[in-house]
Amino acid sequence: MEPDLNFGWTSTVGNVILGATKSEGGTRSKSYTLGGGTTLPFMEKDLSFPAPLIAFEICDDPRYWSPIVNDFCGDLVNDPGAWAKTAETAYGADLVRLCLTSTKQRDFSDIPAIGKTVESVLAATTLPLVIEGSNEPKIDSEVFLKCGETGQGEKLLLGTAEAGRYRSIAAAALAYNHSIIAQSPIDINLAKQLNILLKEIGVTRDHIVIDPYTGALGYGFEYSYSAMERIRFSALKGDTDLAMPQICAPSDSLTVKEVREAEGPARDSMAIEWEFTTSLAAAVAGAEIVCVRHPDTVKRLKAAFAGLSARTEV
Amino acid sequence: MALKALDIYKLLPKKNCKECGDPTCLTFAMKLAAGKADVELCPYLDDNAKNVLGATTRPPIKLVAVGVGERSYSVGEEFVLYRHDKTFYHPPGIMFVVGDTQSEEEIAAVTARVRDETLTRVGADLKFNGTAIVNTSGSAETYAKAVAAVEKTAGLPEILVSENPEALEAALVLCGTYHPVICAATPENYKPLCAIAKKHGCRLVVRAPTFDALAELTRNCVAEGVKNLLIDPAPQTLGDFLTRSTAIRELAITRAMPDLGYPVYLDATKFSDEDAAIALGIVKYASVIVCHPLSPASAKAALTLRQNIYTDPQKPIQMNPGLYRVGTPGKDAPVLMTVNFSLTFFTLQGYLESTRVPCFMLIVDTEGLSVLTAVAAGKLNETLVRDALKKFGVENEVSHKKLIIPGYAAPLSGRIEEATGWKVLVGPRDAAEIGEFIHQEWKP
Repeated sequence: MEPDLNFGWTSTVGNVILGATKSEGGTRSKSYTLGGGTTLPFMEKDLSFPAPLIAFEICDDPRYWSPIVNDFCGDLVNDPGAWAKTAETAYGADLVRLCLTSTKQRDFSDIPAIGKTVESVLAATTLPLVIEGSNEPKIDSEVFLKCGETGQGEKLLLGTAEAGRYRSIAAAALAYNHSIIAQSPIDINLAKQLNILLKEIGVTRDHIVIDPYTGALGYGFEYSYSAMERIRFSALKGDTDLAMPQICAPSDSLTVKEVREAEGPARDSMAIEWEFTTSLAAAVAGAEIVCVRHPDTVKRLKAAFAGLSARTEV
Repeated sequence: MALKALDIYKLLPKKNCKECGDPTCLTFAMKLAAGKADVELCPYLDDNAKNVLGATTRPPIKLVAVGVGERSYSVGEEFVLYRHDKTFYHPPGIMFVVGDTQSEEEIAAVTARVRDETLTRVGADLKFNGTAIVNTSGSAETYAKAVAAVEKTAGLPEILVSENPEALEAALVLCGTYHPVICAATPENYKPLCAIAKKHGCRLVVRAPTFDALAELTRNCVAEGVKNLLIDPAPQTLGDFLTRSTAIRELAITRAMPDLGYPVYLDATKFSDEDAAIALGIVKYASVIVCHPLSPASAKAALTLRQNIYTDPQKPIQMNPGLYRVGTPGKDAPVLMTVNFSLTFFTLQGYLESTRVPCFMLIVDTEGLSVLTAVAAGKLNETLVRDALKKFGVENEVSHKKLIIPGYAAPLSGRIEEATGWKVLVGPRDAAEIGEFIHQEWKP
C-alpha cells in the first residue's frame, strides 16, 4: 500500500521570482522561482523539484557582525564585493544576502555610500541578491529607495517589512519591481495580517516572501518550526493570503550562549552546527530560503538538501 | 471506527479487579476509547472481545519501553503528525554505537560518557540514552566480551546489533533480563530472532524497505509471540527516511495500516552526515536513533533540538514571576523588566551575567508568553507592570525609578510611564545587545 504523500491537499505555494538574467532585464547569471510546492518539503512526486536556496549573509560594516565570521573570513569582511564573489565561487551559496549594518551607526546619513555598496556587490557576484535594509525607521525611506533604484531590473528581495513599518520598503519595491520579506512575530495570524496590509497598498503576493521570525535553536526555535509548518499547510489548503514562500533568517544563531562560550576551533564547529541544525529543520518545516553566516555551513547544507531530495526506488 | 467508552465497557468483564491498573472497568473503558490504554492490560478478556477491541482501541502507535531501571525510556504512543496539532509525547532515545572489535577501554569510555554526560538547559537535564553494541567481529565470544564491558560500566538501555543467533544468545546471558533491543529481524531471519526475543523478553527491530513487507513482518513477529517491536524502513538516503517515516506515521495514526503502528528506528551511522540524519529523525518521527559518539557541538545541537521539538506547544515553560538578582545589585543597580517565558528569562540572564553589571530582573506574569507574543496578545500591559513593581517591592530595593523594558515592548513605554510613575528606558530587541546598552545608556 502506497500512502498519499500529498495528504489530499489541493492548493500550492505561490511563486516568487528572485533575480533577473540578461534576457529578463537584469544582469544575474540565473534567476530562481520559489514556491510551486504541492505538499510538504522534499515530498513532491517530482524528484527534480528544487531544494531550498541557501543564502550567504554578508554585511557592509563588520563591527556589527559575529567575530567568529570575521575571524574566519579575514580581510574579506571589509570588502562586500569581494566577499559576495567568494560566497558565489568558493562557499557555493545560491544567494547573497547583503545586510546594511553600516546603518546601525548613530545618526547614519551616508545614503550614497549604500548605493555604492549595492552597486559593487551587484558587479562582483552574478547571484540574485537579498538586501537587508536600514536598522532605523527614520532612514527607511531613503535607504530602501536607494537600494531599489540601484538594483533596478535585478528583481531583488528587500527586507524587512513589519506590521508597523512596511510603507517605505513597499514603496521602493513597487517603484522598481522588487520583492519584499514580510516578517511577523512567530504567529500565523499576524503573518496573514501583514500580508493583507501589503496587499492593500498594492504589493501582490508574487512579490512577498514570509519571514515567520526564527528563534535560534534552543531559543524559541520550536515556535518558529511550528509557525512555518502551519503557514505551509494554510497555503496548501488554499489560503491565498498565506500562500507565499518562506524564509528562515535567524539573526541570533551565532550569539547564543552555546556558540559564545565555545573556544578555539570548537567555536567554529559550534557555530556551524547551530546554523546547520536550525536551517535543516526549518527547511523540512517549509522554509524555501535559509540564511547562514558561516561559510562552512553552506556546503554541509547543500549536501544534506541533496540527500533529502534523493529517494531510492523499492 | 472508534468505539465509545460505553460500547467498550459492555465488552469488559465488569469485575473492577484493578489488575489493569485502573480503579474500575469503566475508567479503563474510557482510557481505551481515548486510545490511551492497551486491551492486553485486561487479563480477563476473551479472544472475541480482544479482536473487536484490539484494532480500534489500542494506541495507534504501540508504547515500547527500552531498558529497565532509572534510565529506561518509552517511545511510541504518539497521536499526531504535527506537534501543533497536540504535542509529541515521547522524545526519541539517542544511543551511541560501539563495535565489539573496539578495546574494552574504548567501549567502557563510550558507555561511561552516556551514563554521565548531562546538558542542563532551561531547567532540564538532558542526557543520551544508551549504547548500541554491534557484532562487527561476527564472533559470539568477542561479542559477549563487549557486552560484558558495557554491563560492567552502567545499567543503561542497550541495543544488540547482530543477526547471529549464537552471538545474541551469548550476550543475552549477560543482559537478557534488562529488556534490550535486538536489531534486526528481516523477512529471512525473523523466526530464529523472534524465538530469542521471546525467550528473553527483548524488544525487536524489524527491517524492510516497503510498507507491505514491514506490515507482514510485524504481523509475523506478533504471531511468533513478540509484541514489542520497532520498525526500520531501511532508508538509504535522507529523502527515503523523510518520506517513509512520514508515511508510516500517517498510516499508523489513521489506522489505515495498523500493522505499522510501532515506533520507528533510525540508524544514523548509515549516513555520511550523521548530524543531518539525527536532526531529521528528531523532527520527523524517529523514536530510537543510533549514532556514533557525537562531537561536543553535535551533542549539544541534537539534545537541544530534541528538547525544542518535544516541548508541549500548548504549555510554554514558565518562570515564577518575581524580582531576581544577577550578582549582588546595590541601590543604584539597573532594573530590567521582562516576561516569565523561561527561555526569555534564561537568555537574558545569560547575557546579563556576561556583562558583569549587577542588576535586578523584574519578571512579570505573561503566562509564559514571549515578549513578542505577549505584546501582540495584549498580555503584557502597563497594569501588569505596575502591579509587579508594587507586589515585588522594587521601590525598596533601589534608590532610582528607572525601568528598562525589552525593545519589543517599546509601544508600551508611554503607558507604563503614566501608570507607574517610573521613567522607562527602551532596551534592545535582541538580548545579545543588552551589555552594550547598559554600558552606554545606564545612569542611575
